[in-house]
Amino acid sequence: MNRPERGRSPFPADLEILSGEVIPISTEVLLLQLFIGLSLGSIYVMMASGLSLIFGLMRVVNFAHGSFYMLGAYAFVFTLSLLGNFWICLIIGPIIVGLLGIFVEWSGIRPLYGTEEYNPLLLTLGLNYIFVDIIRILFGLGGIGSSVPEALDGMVNLGFMMFPKYRFFMIVAGAVVVILVWLFINKTNIGMVVRAGTKDNEMVQMLGINIKLVWRLIFGLGIALAALSGALIAPITGLVPEMGMFMVIEAFVVVVIGGMGSFMGSIVAGILVGEVIAITNLFFAQAGTVVIFVLMVIVLLATKAGLFGEG
Amino acid sequence: MNRPTEISQKLDWQFWISIPILAILPFVFPYTALATNVLIFGLFATGFNILLGYTGQLSFGHASFYGLGAYGTGLLLVKLKAPLWLGMLGGVGAAVLGGLIIGYLALKRSDVYFSLLTLAFSQVLYFLAFQWRGFTGGDDGLRGVPVAHVFGLDLSEPLNMYYFCFVFFIIMSYFARILLRAPFGKAIRAVKENEDRAITIGFNAQRVKLISFIISGIYGGLAGSLFCLHLRFVPVDVFHWMTNGEVVFISIIGGVGTYFGPIVGAIVFLLLHDIVQLIMTRWELVVGGVLVLFILFFNRGIVGYIEGAITSYRERKALIPQSGQTGGR
Amino acid sequence: MNIIETKELTKSFGGLVAVDNVNFQVEKGELRAVIGPNGAGKTTFFNVIAGRLPPTKGEIWFKGENITHLPPYVITKKGIGRSFQITNIFPKLTVFENVRLAAQAMEVTFNFWKDVTYLDDINRRVTEILERLKLIDYKDIRASNLPHGLQRHLEIGIALASHPELLLLDEPTAGMTEEETEGMMELINEISKGLTIVLVEHDMKFVMSVSKNITVLHDGRVLAEGPPNEIRNNEEVQRVYLGKQK
Repeated sequence: MNRPERGRSPFPADLEILSGEVIPISTEVLLLQLFIGLSLGSIYVMMASGLSLIFGLMRVVNFAHGSFYMLGAYAFVFTLSLLGNFWICLIIGPIIVGLLGIFVEWSGIRPLYGTEEYNPLLLTLGLNYIFVDIIRILFGLGGIGSSVPEALDGMVNLGFMMFPKYRFFMIVAGAVVVILVWLFINKTNIGMVVRAGTKDNEMVQMLGINIKLVWRLIFGLGIALAALSGALIAPITGLVPEMGMFMVIEAFVVVVIGGMGSFMGSIVAGILVGEVIAITNLFFAQAGTVVIFVLMVIVLLATKAGLFGEG
Repeated sequence: MNRPTEISQKLDWQFWISIPILAILPFVFPYTALATNVLIFGLFATGFNILLGYTGQLSFGHASFYGLGAYGTGLLLVKLKAPLWLGMLGGVGAAVLGGLIIGYLALKRSDVYFSLLTLAFSQVLYFLAFQWRGFTGGDDGLRGVPVAHVFGLDLSEPLNMYYFCFVFFIIMSYFARILLRAPFGKAIRAVKENEDRAITIGFNAQRVKLISFIISGIYGGLAGSLFCLHLRFVPVDVFHWMTNGEVVFISIIGGVGTYFGPIVGAIVFLLLHDIVQLIMTRWELVVGGVLVLFILFFNRGIVGYIEGAITSYRERKALIPQSGQTGGR
Repeated sequence: MNIIETKELTKSFGGLVAVDNVNFQVEKGELRAVIGPNGAGKTTFFNVIAGRLPPTKGEIWFKGENITHLPPYVITKKGIGRSFQITNIFPKLTVFENVRLAAQAMEVTFNFWKDVTYLDDINRRVTEILERLKLIDYKDIRASNLPHGLQRHLEIGIALASHPELLLLDEPTAGMTEEETEGMMELINEISKGLTIVLVEHDMKFVMSVSKNITVLHDGRVLAEGPPNEIRNNEEVQRVYLGKQK
């Protein structure tokens, strides 16, 4: 895989918000960073819940999750250039990518059920290379820019501080999505199948429910969540074909810390990781991602399978 | 008396035939340095294969060994002006130490958690190498590795470097072959096939996995060390998880759990890399496509398929007629 | 002399007490059957003795040594072999290799250079075991390709290869036809010479004819213990388990 150019940080551009150059650190700066961490956490929560759902239900480690995140961003920007409406494209982009995800499950992952456990993982690893290069061919190597829509541009006045409106929107969007997914999992029939399937895969299959169809849908949903995160973050960070490659590792860290298969875990860990990265980057630029690796190691060794996971 | 029949014994010719083939490789390849890379990656993949194919553990952080070997050797040669043998020993030693620590911690968990733990360690090492500019050169890499001389031969000559690596490759391959036939080699397979039963019959599975991890790391460390000598430079990418992705690719294409797999995989990978780049700029598309195709249709890799065919043939021959069974899986 | 003894052995999973204060002794050379209705705690009992599960309370003594908290692989080395109710073999390996591994594990693990083909003692023992178990003709066949009955033989063969002094057999005839069960009965009778066997079984005919003594478990507790005739005539046992069968 082509490495980022010499001198350029290998860590996402989004994180180079405030490096440790501000001394001393005022409460305002700290609060702003906490807030930014929350918006970042929002993205992680969406990425992680999709990843966690897929693993919890299907035992598939989807290494291509980062690519779908990237594809979501590109699909969003592309449809935006065609249709112009921010809100519609924010929905359509992820849906398109979600459908692509279903195609991937049907053609690639489904045939691998019953083979070695690491096969879907390796397949999705290979998919990364394919997707990244296709995007490079279609949209160029250098990436494209995107901008925040007027309606969400600027600052919002929360009384004690001014916060970027778009980041606020990201947090709200994340919360809405989380609530919708929670409702889906806990209040619908399919959601019940998902919950049961996460606990005991074999049993659910024996009950004669068309579990395979549910798997396919959930995979698509998980992918759509990833795509939505990419679409949401695109206006702030811009897009490069490799943007998913960093994100996927962080998403896995979040899922592991929270506990694979646990939706609550994704939420808690997503916010936690977002904040840890934001705060760490205040004091030591770019150390954020390493710190969360250390955190992951600690959590994994201290618990059996993450904070909310079940061995 | 009844001696057990094992496939690897029948395919012993693989090892002996690989010697002349590899000996002439530099003359068959477009340029010698590429052939040297085949040996280096092949060595790396051989160790990775012992862990994945025979012990059944998928490591995402094998780049740790590669990097420790490369930087270990490089730093000793550059900063301490150490002699070649000491530099190489130091590199491999660093890999062994890393293997002990990382393996001990990572093996406390299994499956994807193990994989991610190994990844975490390699990323931490990557970060350290990247940030510690003064010591490692940061993202500019470690430069100025001196030309090595072995028995009066100048290793900056491509052919000399090739045969230097060739010697190590053959020795380590031979060791792998012996290891896999030895009690330990059988023990790791038992752990892979059924860890639970392996423990019940008396194997200390944790220790077996750890030793296997370290041995696999020795190969990675040695490969990294040779890489450092070959390039006379150590790029910080040696620790990156994408380097691990390359060795995974090589193992899958060649065939996990086979003897010749790593070399075949390395050849395919490196040739793909060079040749495809001549024809089209987007070679990673091809790499990804090939990997996906292999996972779906040639899951056992090139060599795996050949061996599988031979196994089926033998099984059909060994069956008792009255049992009514048919051969194959 | 008691080869194995448990003292107030208890295993609970949260609120569920699977093994409840069991005091259990088996004499050396005895063939003891452990029976009881489903859920009586028999397999859990085996699992705790073999070290797979840590006991909540109590002790396990083997040949005069306290083995209570030893890891399973060490317990095997002490001389306890175990076969499983659900076949737990090495499916992709040959029948010979399955047994050979068990034999090898007792002697050597961390040898990196000696070719196992030339470990003659081990190979010889494996051949002997395969012959006794009527598996010798299948030695080169992949274990997963064996018919069920022979896989159960292999299950025992693997356990035997650890040259145990105490053999724990968990439902050796599970899933077998009547004919196969008779074959297994003969086998167990034959290997019981010079070995102590504790077996869990549901097949009553089998149990009544081979065991010297029977222990009946119910709800994790020992309900009754004694020779087959006593157990057969024990009213409580009849009520709980045998359902007035004779």
